[in-house]
Amino acid sequence: MSVVVPRRVFLKSSAVAGTALLVPFHLSGNPRAHKASGSSTSNTSGSFSPNAWLELSSGGDVKIWCGKSEMGQGVRTSLPMIVAEELGCDWASVNVVQYGDQLTGGSLSVRTSYDNLRKAGAAAREMLISAAAREWYVERSTCRAENGSVIHLSTQKRLPYAQLVALAAGISPSADPPLKNPSDFKLIGKSTRRTDSLAKVTGAAKFGLDTRLSGMLIASVERSPVYGGTPRRFNADEVKSAPHVRAVFEVKSAHLTHQFGETSGPGSRNYSCAGVAVVADSTWAAVQARKLLKVEWNEPPSAFETTASLREKMLRFASEPGTIIRNDGDFEKAHASAAKKIDAVYEVPFLAHATMEPVNCTAHVRSDSCELWAPTQIPGAAADSIASALGIPRERVKVHVTFIGGGFGRRLIQDYAVEAALISRDAGAPVQVVWSREDDIRHDFYRPAACHVLQAGLDAQGQLISWRHRGSSPSIETFFNGTGISPRAAAQVDSLDFPALFVPNFRLEFTVAESGMPLGYWRSVDASGNQFVISSFFDEAAHAAGRDPLEFLLAAFGPARKIPVGSGETLDVGRRRNVIELAAQESGWGRPMPSGRGRGIAAAFGWGSYVAQVAEVTCDADKGTLRVDRVVCAIDCGTAVNPLGVKAQMEGAINFGLAQTLKSAITVSGGRVEQSNFHDYEVLRMSDAPPVIDVHIVPSAEPPGGCGEPGVPPAAPAVANAIFAATGKRIRRLPIRAADLGRRPAPAR
Amino acid sequence: MAISFTLNGKPQSVDVSPDMPLLWVLRDTLNMTGTKFGCGMALCGACTVHINGEATRSCVTAISSVAGKKVTTIEGLSADGSHPVQQAWMEEDVPQCGYCQSGQIMSAVALLSKKPNPTDTDIDDAMSGNICRCGTYQRIRKAIHRAASMHTAKANSAA
Repeated sequence: MSVVVPRRVFLKSSAVAGTALLVPFHLSGNPRAHKASGSSTSNTSGSFSPNAWLELSSGGDVKIWCGKSEMGQGVRTSLPMIVAEELGCDWASVNVVQYGDQLTGGSLSVRTSYDNLRKAGAAAREMLISAAAREWYVERSTCRAENGSVIHLSTQKRLPYAQLVALAAGISPSADPPLKNPSDFKLIGKSTRRTDSLAKVTGAAKFGLDTRLSGMLIASVERSPVYGGTPRRFNADEVKSAPHVRAVFEVKSAHLTHQFGETSGPGSRNYSCAGVAVVADSTWAAVQARKLLKVEWNEPPSAFETTASLREKMLRFASEPGTIIRNDGDFEKAHASAAKKIDAVYEVPFLAHATMEPVNCTAHVRSDSCELWAPTQIPGAAADSIASALGIPRERVKVHVTFIGGGFGRRLIQDYAVEAALISRDAGAPVQVVWSREDDIRHDFYRPAACHVLQAGLDAQGQLISWRHRGSSPSIETFFNGTGISPRAAAQVDSLDFPALFVPNFRLEFTVAESGMPLGYWRSVDASGNQFVISSFFDEAAHAAGRDPLEFLLAAFGPARKIPVGSGETLDVGRRRNVIELAAQESGWGRPMPSGRGRGIAAAFGWGSYVAQVAEVTCDADKGTLRVDRVVCAIDCGTAVNPLGVKAQMEGAINFGLAQTLKSAITVSGGRVEQSNFHDYEVLRMSDAPPVIDVHIVPSAEPPGGCGEPGVPPAAPAVANAIFAATGKRIRRLPIRAADLGRRPAPAR
Repeated sequence: MAISFTLNGKPQSVDVSPDMPLLWVLRDTLNMTGTKFGCGMALCGACTVHINGEATRSCVTAISSVAGKKVTTIEGLSADGSHPVQQAWMEEDVPQCGYCQSGQIMSAVALLSKKPNPTDTDIDDAMSGNICRCGTYQRIRKAIHRAASMHTAKANSAA
C-alpha cells in the first residue's frame, strides 16, 4: 500500500446529488513516511490523493470518512473534536465512518491527522460562510460561523449549516483556510467523554466476532504447532462425520504483503500459519469436532528450538562483539580509565498480545471477489494479501472494519484475514474463523525475547563516562523484510537514544539471534524491552555513583536544548527534563518511605511525546510479595486534544506495562509455545492493578504527539528501580518472580 | 430436546446439544452477541452473565444446567444504558476497546447486589476474575464506587 502525502493539503469539494458537501483530504497512516518526513504534510510528491472525506449532509450531520480503526484509543472521539473545533459545530453531530485502507498504529492517529482534519473542518466552514454571504448578498467578512450556523453580524441573521450545504457544495474550498488561534479553542484541550461508551456498556457494539451473516458457517482451525510446519496427513473423514460438520480441509500458508511498506526480501518469513480447518454450523460444533482431529505435521528445523537454546545463543552473542550500531568517543579507552565500573546482564521474554477479543475474521469469497468483516488495524494489508492469495484483483476485496477488541499491534498482521478468505473460498460459504484463546496465544506474532549485556564506567567525580550495550534478539525487521536490510534496521534500536546522546563514550552493538518464532509489533515495540534495560542499568549507575537517581538522571540530560536523534524526530531536552521533574514533584520524590517501600523513576521519549513515571512499591522479601501502590505519570504530548482520553491511554499503557513487569512470558519447547490460556499466560488483573495512577499532562501548544504507546516503556523500569530502593534487590529480567525479591539468591534457570 | 429457561425476564426455549455452553447458545443460537467469548475456561470473565442472580461464566456453563433458571445478560440490564452501573461506567468514561466491559459490568452488578457499598478489597475480590487488557481497572473501581453512591443517594431520597 503506497501512501502519498501531498506537499500541500489540497482540498476539493463536490456535491453528491446536491445533498451533501464533501471535502476530500489526506490522512497519513504510514509511520515510515511520517518518520522520514517528520511531518504529516510534507512529501516529495505533489499529487493529491485523498483517502478521507469530510461530509456535511443537508440533514445536519457531519461525517468523517476515514480509515482510523477504533480499538479503544478513542479516535471516534478525538477526531470529531478536531473537526468540530474548526467547523464550529456541535461535536456530537460529527461521526467517524470507517472508510479506506489506512493503518491504525504507531500512536499516529491524532498526530498525523491533526493538521489535515483542522484544515478540512476550516475549509468547510469557509465554504459555508461564502454560501451564506451569497445568499444574503453581503460581504463574507461580515459573517461569522458559530455553533452550527452562519451569522450575519450586523443583522444577526442566521442560517444553519444544514440549509447551506447545497449552496456551499458548489464552492471551491481553500487549500489553506484560516485556522483558529489555539487560544480560541473551545473543544481541543477539553476533557470529553467517549462517544462509543453507550454501545460498549449495553453490549450493542459490534466487534469482529459479532459479525452475523446469512448462511454463515463457523471454522475452527488446528494450526501447525511449529510456525512454518504443514499438515502431512489428517483424519478428515472421521471428523467430517461429527455432528453439524460441513467440511474439513487443509489451509495453506499464504504470504502476507506489505505491513508497513516492507520489502519482504529474501529470508523474510511473514506468512500465515498452515493448518486444518473444521467448518461447522456453529462454534460449539466446530470446536467439538476439532477435538477429534489427528494431524501429523511436517515440521521445520525450528521444531528443535527451546527458550533455553535461544537464551544461550542470545547470551553468547551479547557477550561477544556485535555489529556496531552506534559508536561515540572511545569506549575502551574511557572505560579503562574509569574509577568505578559496573556490568550487568538483562533479559526479557517473548510476549503475546492477548487482546481480549481473540483473533478472528469473517470472510465471504465469491467467484472473483471477497468481502471481509475484520477487526483490523490495517485493512489495506488485508486486502493486498487476500488479493494475492486468491489471485483476484485488489479492488475486488472489500474490507469492513469492525470495532476492535484490543489491537496492541496484533491486528497489524493480516494472517487471520488471509486464512479466513482461503477457508471461505474452499467452504463455498461465508465463514467466521473463531480462534480459541489457545489458538490466539500459541499463534501470535510475538514481541521478541532479548538478552543485553551492559558495561558502564564512572569517573572519580561520579560522572558517567563510558557505556557499552551489547544486545541480541530475534529481529522483527528481518522477519518481515528478509536478511538484506541494514544492521541498524535489523537491530530495531530506535529506543536506545538514551543515554546514547548523553554519555561521551558510548557504543551500541547488536547481533540478530535467529529464531523460528513469528515476530511482530507489540505496543511500544522495541522500547517495551529496551527501556527496561536502559533505565534500570542507568539506575544501577546512579547507585554506583552514590547519587540520587533523579538528580543523576537530570544531571545526565544537562541543560534544555534540542537534539536531532536520527529517526527524524528531535529530542527536546527541556521537555524531557520537565516531565521528569513534574513526575518527581507530584510523587513526593525524596520524602522518606517506610521500610519495605520504595520509589523508582524512569522516563521515555518517542512517538512525539515525553513521558516520565514514578512507581511506588511495597515489598516483603520474606514472603516474596510485591505490590505496586501507585504510579505517578507525567506526559508532554504537545497539544492534548482530549485530556481525558490521554489519561485513559496513560492508565492503560501503565497497566499494560505492569503486565509484562509482573506477569507475562511466552516460552518455547520443541518449537512450540508452551502457554495456552490466561492460567499460564498471565496478564494484569484488578488485584494486581495499582490502587492509584496519577496522570499529569503538561500544558503545551506544540503539535500533538502520540499517546497509545509512550506510556508503556517506563512502567517496568520504574517498578524495578522502586524495588531496588525498597529492598536492594536489582531486577534484571522480566517478569519479576517471587524468588527475585526474596532474601535467598534466585535459583539459576 | 428443547431446554427452557427465562432470559432477561422472558421465557426462552432452545433445541441444542445439552452440553453446549450457554455462551454459544446466546451468541450463535439466539444471536445475542453482547456476551463475549474471551477464553472458554472461566479465566477472563468476558462471558459473565447472571444465573438466578449469581455472576456466572457462561463459557463453561452447559445449557442443560440452565433449564428452569433465570438468566440475565448485558442486554437485560437495559438497552438504553439507564442501569445505574451502566450510567456510572459512562460517567467515569471506563471503556476503551470495550470488549470485556459486558462481563465487567455483569460482575459489578452482582457485587453491588450483595454488597451495596463495597470496599476496594471487596472490589478486588469480586472483579479479579474479569480481565481488561486495555487496563481500565482504576476507572472500573471508581465506577463501582460511583454506582454504589448513586444507589445510596437514591435510597436516601426515597426514605
